[in-house]
Amino acid sequence: MQHEGEEKLGDRLIASWVSGAHLHFASNDVRQRYQARAQLIVDTIRLRDTGKIPVIPAATQKFAFDYVPVTFREAMTEFDKAFDAYVRQYEDTDFDAYTGPEFIFPAGMFEALAWNRVRLPGVHLPDDKSFQFVEAEYMKAEEYDEYLDDPSDWILRKYLPRLSPKLEPLAQLPPLRNMVAFFQGLPDLVLAAAENPGVVDAMKALQASGEAVQEWFDYLGRIDQELGGRLALPHLLGPMAHAPFDIISNYYRGWRGTIVDMYSRPEKMKALMERLLPWQLQYGMDGAKAQGHPIVTVYLYKGADGLMSEEQYEEFYWPTLKKLILGLVEEGLLVWVFTQGKYDSRLHHFREIPAGTCLIHLESGTDAFLAKEVLAGSQCIEGNVSSAMLATASVAEVEAYCVKLAEVCGKGGGFMMDFSAFLDEARRENVKRMIEVAKRYGRSSS
Amino acid sequence: MSQELTDAIVNLRMDDAVTLAQRMVADGADPLAVIAESGEAMRVIGRRFADGEAFIPELIMGGEIMKAISQEVMPQGGGPDTESSKGTVVIGTVHGDIHDIGKDIVALMLQISGYTVHDLGTDVPVEDFVTAIKEHDPDIVGLSGLLTLAFDAMKSTVDGIAAAGRRDTVRIMIGGAPVDENVRAYTGADGWGGDVGAAIKLADEWTDGGA
Repeated sequence: MQHEGEEKLGDRLIASWVSGAHLHFASNDVRQRYQARAQLIVDTIRLRDTGKIPVIPAATQKFAFDYVPVTFREAMTEFDKAFDAYVRQYEDTDFDAYTGPEFIFPAGMFEALAWNRVRLPGVHLPDDKSFQFVEAEYMKAEEYDEYLDDPSDWILRKYLPRLSPKLEPLAQLPPLRNMVAFFQGLPDLVLAAAENPGVVDAMKALQASGEAVQEWFDYLGRIDQELGGRLALPHLLGPMAHAPFDIISNYYRGWRGTIVDMYSRPEKMKALMERLLPWQLQYGMDGAKAQGHPIVTVYLYKGADGLMSEEQYEEFYWPTLKKLILGLVEEGLLVWVFTQGKYDSRLHHFREIPAGTCLIHLESGTDAFLAKEVLAGSQCIEGNVSSAMLATASVAEVEAYCVKLAEVCGKGGGFMMDFSAFLDEARRENVKRMIEVAKRYGRSSS
Repeated sequence: MSQELTDAIVNLRMDDAVTLAQRMVADGADPLAVIAESGEAMRVIGRRFADGEAFIPELIMGGEIMKAISQEVMPQGGGPDTESSKGTVVIGTVHGDIHDIGKDIVALMLQISGYTVHDLGTDVPVEDFVTAIKEHDPDIVGLSGLLTLAFDAMKSTVDGIAAAGRRDTVRIMIGGAPVDENVRAYTGADGWGGDVGAAIKLADEWTDGGA
């Protein structure tokens, strides 16, 4: 809870992130360039007319790997190779920030647990294909009450065993709420462990997975130092939080199950979303503090145009998303709202959030010019350069589209140049032209 | 015809619809006639969807109700009605891509619109498309993909169909969020669609609406 006169969490984090306090800079010149870029990003989100258009990457994947080249499999297992790829890509492309390495998760994290929510290159898919998440029904329709009653118990004894065969033995544990004292609860708990050797194996699997994550975090730290401290690139992707609706539909019930619930048990769904909301808010704030990063990213999945009616969006999707964003903004944090799919009809909702607090990503399906009209003076927009265009169109076509974006959406500030989705297949000359247009516009108007 | 059953389905009242269907069969109605009537109700939802009055949840919920009714009244399953079919479609998400929602919805809408649909699922190898084409002799092949990485997989699938000597016997459409005319040209497909409506329109054009 914020008190008047007290410095907000977000203000403190913005100052430290812009200063690059977490980095060792190779020189004063690098420090100044880093700080100028980070400040430009904050100013643009704040809707200050800087006369410049920052150019940011939604995230680069195969586009970066091709610089070495490295396969997806290698990038997920041999971090030195991925490091090399990202450094080469960012040396060659004049972005104002970096994003990407943190999305190439360590294969070992999943493999140690035989995690079944993911299809991995080198295991289920060819080495050169991106890993992909499986959306399935991990929570049964009749389990809403169980979840609402004791979420941690459901997660420990139902969810984790369904996500990983290595964690199935956890289902044998008694509910932890039974643990009261050495004479009530403890014997049941330790007996369950002693009688199920699988419980110990499950802990070992968690340890092995954790070791892969430690190695990966170490690599992410090194790459942040290299890209930030040497190439003067702020890391755009920091802490994350999820829209409660998306947690249910992506991770618990699946899209089909969620739709059935919207008709068959809407009140249960709403109760669960309200339960999830404060946890997501806290998760975003804790992540911001831990990472020293003032921009919380919220990826949006199922609220896009066509995926539900406006009435359904207003009834099911927006209320808890709005409260989540407002809660973060209240703490002085900035929010990178990453819309996916066509979002034309929903854009007006972001006017309900205090102006100059959100960075709204637009995929190519959304009409960026309409977005500018709807959100001018309200929120900053970015993205929209089609990944397909970058992969298949000519440099002249890319130039023409990006010039139009810069002139129309860049007018008066509140716009960043970015492509539509994570970048895999793309011609380098096209990506470079997109960047050039943004920089040229900045020079011509300043 | 039971207006009651049609209303229950169109208004997405799953429990009512299933109970009504059960009662109709118990009262002596032909299970196939009950399913045909449910299909008619689904077409109403499909038309609303095409007109922008209904959305994916309505369509999927309608599909779930249809599935529940079929399981109740014909537990052993019934064969597709090919006599009145507007055409045959083989559809799948190309290899290396496991996204299914867009493909599922196009498959469902094609079915509702009167096509016989063979859905091969996701991450479908080229040879599975070729085998399905030989088996079902479709008019149309639909290749779906959400990733830009799917472009090469679409192209190799089109090439694989050609190498099997079946390129001239089918029209190939590609679909998915990142697809556009440039991607169509790159993959060598005959048409592309960015949404469900475009897929149905293309299919109707290619089959003269089944005429």
